[in-house]
Amino acid sequence: MSDVVLALAINGLVWGLIIALIALGLSIIFGLLDIINVAHGDLFMVGTVGGLAVTVATGSFWLALVLVPVLGFVLGLVLERVVIRPTIRQAALTIVTTFGLSMMLQEAVRATYGAQPRRMAPPIEGTVPLFGIDYDVYRIAAALFAALALAGFFLFLQRTKLGTWIRAVRHDPETATALGIPVARICGITFALGTAMAALGGVIAAPITTVEFRTGVDILPFCFMAVVIGGLGNLQGTVAAAVLLAVMEGVVTSVSDPTVARIVSLAVMSGVLLFRPHGLFAGATR
Amino acid sequence: MTTERRPDRATSADVATGSDAAHPSRRSFLQTALAGGALAGTAYVALGRDMSAFAQAGGPIVIGQHCELTGGFASWGYWHNKCGAAAVKLINEMGGIAGRKVELVTEDTESNPATGTRKLRSLIQRNGASFVVGSVHSGVMLAAIPVATELKTVYFSSGEATEATGEKGTRYSFRTGTDTYGLAAAGAPWAFKNLGKRWTIISPDYAWGHSHYKEHKAVVEKLGGHVNDPIFVPLDAKDLVPYLTKIPQDTEVLFSVFFGALSVAFYTQAKSMGLEKTMRMYSVSGTIEAIAPADLKGAAEGVYIVENFPRMAKYKDDGFHRDYLKAIGTDDVHGRETGSERVNAKSHSWQNWENMFALKQAIEASGWKTKKDDKGVIEALEGMQMANALGHPQGAKTLRKEDHSGIIDCYISRVENDELQVKTKVAKEDLAAMMPVRFDLSKQAV
Repeated sequence: MSDVVLALAINGLVWGLIIALIALGLSIIFGLLDIINVAHGDLFMVGTVGGLAVTVATGSFWLALVLVPVLGFVLGLVLERVVIRPTIRQAALTIVTTFGLSMMLQEAVRATYGAQPRRMAPPIEGTVPLFGIDYDVYRIAAALFAALALAGFFLFLQRTKLGTWIRAVRHDPETATALGIPVARICGITFALGTAMAALGGVIAAPITTVEFRTGVDILPFCFMAVVIGGLGNLQGTVAAAVLLAVMEGVVTSVSDPTVARIVSLAVMSGVLLFRPHGLFAGATR
Repeated sequence: MTTERRPDRATSADVATGSDAAHPSRRSFLQTALAGGALAGTAYVALGRDMSAFAQAGGPIVIGQHCELTGGFASWGYWHNKCGAAAVKLINEMGGIAGRKVELVTEDTESNPATGTRKLRSLIQRNGASFVVGSVHSGVMLAAIPVATELKTVYFSSGEATEATGEKGTRYSFRTGTDTYGLAAAGAPWAFKNLGKRWTIISPDYAWGHSHYKEHKAVVEKLGGHVNDPIFVPLDAKDLVPYLTKIPQDTEVLFSVFFGALSVAFYTQAKSMGLEKTMRMYSVSGTIEAIAPADLKGAAEGVYIVENFPRMAKYKDDGFHRDYLKAIGTDDVHGRETGSERVNAKSHSWQNWENMFALKQAIEASGWKTKKDDKGVIEALEGMQMANALGHPQGAKTLRKEDHSGIIDCYISRVENDELQVKTKVAKEDLAAMMPVRFDLSKQAV
């Protein structure tokens, strides 16, 4: 029993790191633009489809790992300019806008790529024994990719001029404007960064899960739970909450039904909303 | 109107009943269509043209098609729609039903029971559909049957939850394909004998999965085997490892029932954990519908699957089957669409094709003219025999009178080198013997 607990806790950590990468994109977009991006899961889906397409076309998963986030960044710039900017700072309207965007992305992929689900073969195959189960080596690699991307993002945010500008705009857009920071451009870049992170999460997750036009629909609720528990717009809190939720679900699953684990997660989120509405990590550095 | 029959030409009735005159080796599809048009009295028939041959009283017969064009079952729904539309096109090219043109109206259920019931009302009440060829989504079809019954409209289900022709069935609900009861009867005894006696069932947490669990458990336990507690997976699950670790180590047969994205996730993640090394993998066709084993990159290799219609044409090798594949545009090995990467949901989508011909047979046999004649169609469908024909390329079958269930040939196949190789065929007569009648819907009032 204790072996299964450990194995599922580690699996939760692995999955949590991938989710954290996607949820972080959601959180940074909300933190800066006050947009609840309902289409974020579909940007993840575009990443899975793009990852498979590039891998099939070039034969290299590693090229997809680099190229797809870059393409995601460009897509984010376009979407921000065309879809987001006209409704920015109108939270209710952005929900409708991004919901429409979500449907358009899904249907665009369904119409062009087809509705059939596909598998992307992992670039690293094999299993390692892990507390009584044969564990997929690629999952461990995926967790490392996700952890590296998260670390890289926080370094970028802390150590670069652009990162400083992004933090400044998040903190006080009016003062940032007065100081000459190009706020509109920073908003575009931030949305594009969030899109690129979702796309990167898609490429990393594609060999584990399924590639199809609805892949993003089911992943979005868990990401939202992480964002809510971590604190809306709280980046470190979002990462911590994603990992904690996934590990907790893994541990609960080892002694109960996986559905019960999800119910526990929802109960935790409800508790946080009731007693700490600004998130479990409110007060942490934003 | 009388028609003189020429020996080298097929009538539409030949296509539906399998008469020699319709044997596809004697002519191409186009020739068949032209022949039907000629016999209907037209000077010529242009494909797709609104034909004057349909000048008979009563106007067109509107048939509704209730299928999943979007949502989770979209990869199946595409084929159900395509097969139904192709069947109607062929029927019209050959003179329609009882000389009346068929108008097909299709509504998208969005793979959602609530939307599905709303769209069904639209099909019947707004579009005037007299009959409905219905959903393959078990949740949608089970929600649709009460509506179809309320609106007194014949509804063909093509999903597998047995309740549609069982406890939730009505005089108006029919199914030419198999259900979970039939699939358990067809496959479980063979799998029990050849694969193992200790079973674990992993399936999605909704009507279809629960129904498979109940029916397979009954068969395996009756044979003296043991079935572990089921593992039900939420439809939104992405990471299946927590569920796969629940599979008991002593499992000899892992019976999986998934569809679409969950199927791919299951095969991918089960393979990555090496489950196939310690247990035999067994499933039903739904798990690999609209998916080519080659696209799973080896993850489905070695899995045993009960098929309703063999994906490889050589295992039901006749001209009707090959001409049907030509009509819907798929290859005869992988079921892939000509000119695209789509894969036919072949074990289920044939029902949309065949149900059109079943309706044609019933309408013409009963002399149906308007909705008030529905009772005649229902009585004609109850116990109807369908011969192996272009109209019924899956093979000869019976629509059992009592429970309105299709009694058909089934096939147990194994994925070998990315192809579904049939290992054994379960004849419809054997299937009927293994699934005694449990419900008699024919005694309900119309």
